[in-house]
Amino acid sequence: MAAALGERVFALLGSRFWRWLDRRIPPSSPIVLSQRNVFIFPTPTGFAFGGLIGLLILGGINYQSSLVYAVAFLLGSMFLVTILYTFRNLSGLRLELVGARPGFVGEDLEFTVRVTRPAAGSGRARGREGIQLGWPRGIMQWAELYEREAATVRVYLAASRRGFFHPGRLLIETYYPLGLLRAWTWVDLGARALVYPRPLFDELPQTSSGRRDEGELIDPQGSEDFSDIRAYRAGDPVRHILWRSFARGGELAVKRYASYLEPRLWLDLEATRGSLEERLSRLTGLALQAARLDREFGLRLGALTVPPARGEAHLERVLRALALHGLPDADASTGEAGRGR
Amino acid sequence: MGAEGIAAVAPHAPARDGARRGRGIAYQIPRNSLALLMVAQVAVVLPFLLHLAPWLIAVCLFCCCWRYGVYQGRWDYPSRLLKALVVVAAVAGVALSNVPGFSLEAAASLLNLAFALKLIEMKNRRDAYVVIFLGYFLIATLFLFDQSMLQAGYQLFAIVVVTAAMVGMNQLATRVRPFSNLRLAGALILQALPLTVVVFLFFPRLAPLWSVPLPNASVTGLREEMTPGDVAELGRSDALAFRAVFTGAPPAPRELYWRALVYSRFDSGTWSVGPDPGAAAGPDFDRDETTARSYEVLLEPTFARWLVALETPLPESPGIVLTRDWRLQAPDPVLAVYRYRARAYSGAVPEPDLVRPMRARETALPAEDNPRIRAFAVALREATPDTRAFVDALLTHIRSEPYFYTLNPPVLPREHSIDRFWFETRRGFCTHYAGAVVFMLRAVGVPARLVGGYQGGEVNPITGHVVVRQYDAHAWVEYWQPGAGWIRVDPTGAVAPARIEQGLRAALSAEDRASLPVLGGVRLRESGMVRGLLDWVDSLDHRWNLWVVGYDGQLQADVLKRLLGEVTPLRIGIAVATGGALSGAVVALILFWRRRPPSRHPVERMFAGFCARMARLGWARRPDEPPGSYLDRVAAAAGQSADARARTIARLNGLLYNPAAPGGRAELRQLRGELRRLQFRLAFGPSSGVPG
Repeated sequence: MAAALGERVFALLGSRFWRWLDRRIPPSSPIVLSQRNVFIFPTPTGFAFGGLIGLLILGGINYQSSLVYAVAFLLGSMFLVTILYTFRNLSGLRLELVGARPGFVGEDLEFTVRVTRPAAGSGRARGREGIQLGWPRGIMQWAELYEREAATVRVYLAASRRGFFHPGRLLIETYYPLGLLRAWTWVDLGARALVYPRPLFDELPQTSSGRRDEGELIDPQGSEDFSDIRAYRAGDPVRHILWRSFARGGELAVKRYASYLEPRLWLDLEATRGSLEERLSRLTGLALQAARLDREFGLRLGALTVPPARGEAHLERVLRALALHGLPDADASTGEAGRGR
Repeated sequence: MGAEGIAAVAPHAPARDGARRGRGIAYQIPRNSLALLMVAQVAVVLPFLLHLAPWLIAVCLFCCCWRYGVYQGRWDYPSRLLKALVVVAAVAGVALSNVPGFSLEAAASLLNLAFALKLIEMKNRRDAYVVIFLGYFLIATLFLFDQSMLQAGYQLFAIVVVTAAMVGMNQLATRVRPFSNLRLAGALILQALPLTVVVFLFFPRLAPLWSVPLPNASVTGLREEMTPGDVAELGRSDALAFRAVFTGAPPAPRELYWRALVYSRFDSGTWSVGPDPGAAAGPDFDRDETTARSYEVLLEPTFARWLVALETPLPESPGIVLTRDWRLQAPDPVLAVYRYRARAYSGAVPEPDLVRPMRARETALPAEDNPRIRAFAVALREATPDTRAFVDALLTHIRSEPYFYTLNPPVLPREHSIDRFWFETRRGFCTHYAGAVVFMLRAVGVPARLVGGYQGGEVNPITGHVVVRQYDAHAWVEYWQPGAGWIRVDPTGAVAPARIEQGLRAALSAEDRASLPVLGGVRLRESGMVRGLLDWVDSLDHRWNLWVVGYDGQLQADVLKRLLGEVTPLRIGIAVATGGALSGAVVALILFWRRRPPSRHPVERMFAGFCARMARLGWARRPDEPPGSYLDRVAAAAGQSADARARTIARLNGLLYNPAAPGGRAELRQLRGELRRLQFRLAFGPSSGVPG
């Protein structure tokens, strides 16, 4: 009971903190770190170091030794100087979200952040090192700006639900140079990534569900029986390229296969078993397999219909539709490819 | 088409190996830090070699070697059993070595062991920090044994190495670049120094809060017990005993008899101080202030309470006790360089009457010992009943008979030692002669005592202070006469007058000289150039003792008064704040100064300004866009003709890439106008507002 209460108080304080943070460091990408948005505080190691200094001062008093005093004061001064060093390690850094890769539920989503340090002025610019980036619940990644002026860091976070995923604020922290102080900040780079349903793999149906009339169509491409050879055109499957003839110095040519009675595959929500999420998962699995086999397939999702096609862009459109099905996300209907920029 | 093989199809998955990196692998201490920690350990432990048991240092270095093996991947971490065994053996070793259980040496030994053993077994971040903190602690601990400037400089280096290891803890584990770490650590320490000085000056010096285990290191120096061979041993040591600063010119070395200990008791060939005579009733002797000398002594650690003083002393510093045998005594054992002021009244007669207990104390002799010399003294006394004449006769005896002064006297037995020396070996050091004279004086009933201390010293020509080293250790005689008080007699002057006039070096025979270490101070000081250098080092060290090691509450009060005029909390607060802010500002300046954009060429500056203004209008320059292409894009958007665009671009490129070309100034003005027009057209022109 008390624990639950404590949790609620904590959550309340937490939400207050985040709201305060939203005012203090408004969302932006790129964002430049400065004394306005960098916090600094001693680490537990730093407090232990303080204890060591106290111990040394005590020793200096009891042994009346000037030099023991001096060591204590030197370490204390070093601690204070380190505040500037630790702060400077973050100060002036420019953070920019470069990309967010879509993924499936249960996977780690990859966000790419570009970290740039201030341009080298006259003389040698100082490198930054020991900078760590990560989402609150993810793994911290190191950014090294010692020799380079910019680094691209991939930070990952596991997604638990389909739809647009907002990882929240990115934590940037550093313990450099001594580990006695931690400088950190939470920045909102406006990151979001599309999360597709977790794929469930069923057997790919031999014949399509859907309208019978389309099943009779002859598919001139993409099947097993060799029909003829023609010159390569952009978009032809790589697997069909006649590499041997190309190696002989000829043009790029593709083998053509013809299949008769090659049905178009329709992935239909209505025709799938299980709960909504399960059905979406099945359809995702089917879409992936179909794309893998380079088959033409279409999607029927209630009111939304994606006409049959093949290729990477088509798969993305289908997955995006599956990911956003039934979700109130406003940009679900824009239909733009899910690059999540 | 068939469905076979579909089950093996994997979904398209983003690269995720990066995300998992580090999760399954155990934490590893960065190699950079490890390497530096090993160096740090050697650096920290080495100076303890002079103060702790050598086997201990050997254990520490062995641990370091082991760690190096682990570091190289050739050896494994020690097993748990082995670690336990080593810990037990090491602690037992400390307990069994002849260090008292609750002493500084024992504590330092255990700390060193903990430091070394922790280094072997450390695996995680916290272990490494424990080792680092232990390193700092040991660096400070060493100052309880040695506070010289040289040592302090070395310890500063050790601090830099330990700090560099700490820097390594916060770097990427794969970075191995120890020298850049050392440089950074050096910079940190250097930048921390100004603030350190401010805090050092102002931090209040408190009295000890509780008593602490004291170091009982066997320093070379006078002890409270003395067999005649001891001082001869001191004669080989050129370690510093103390420095003294006189107000005015220092007296001639032969007048400088620094009394330290009074040996009133003789037993089985050994002189000892005997029971504590207690504090003097008061400075109740006639003081002639015109001949009084004021001086300040900076005594090196003796780990005892005795202080050196010229006769007849009065302490000026608080806390110092004047004893009944006219010596000065510190309130606590002298563990660090101890500074005190005293005055010397050379002509005073402090004890014209000797009270009975003192008389008994200064005439006591063991009943059976040394019968021959006793008989010799009694016979001589019958021939010369006057005490002064008796003493003169003794000195004449020494002078006329074949007695020798040597650093290498033959070993004497515990019983009848003085007989043996006086009648048979006849070779001895100052203690032999002085001891024999005291014995003979007591044998005829004259109160007499052996005084141990230092005689002479060298004046450093640079700072004018007197340096007294262990080889200046000396022993002489005081005997008491009614009305005249205690009279000093130095029998060494009879056997080796040069010892008193010119110091030990002049008095040594060729044989003794050969027994001294070639590189020892005693011999080095004979060459002119080396001597100059040594004097210079000594003067530096003296100033170090004067201002740093000896910076105590008293000196702090003086310094603050000189700095602030008047010592009030407000003034101290202002001074500390100013000093702190200044030292902080220096560091901030060093750190952040370079961040400022460099002063650029006017063309670049102008173009950068143009780009910034255009970016505000929505025409930002892409990072990969050359200036020419950008200008072309913008100017095309503004609707300029291809001709005009090419001209402007050529002008810009000419100025940017050939800034030294003639006519640059006019060109620049021209370009500025063109850019301004371009900007105007984009801002207000018909085609504005559609950035491409």
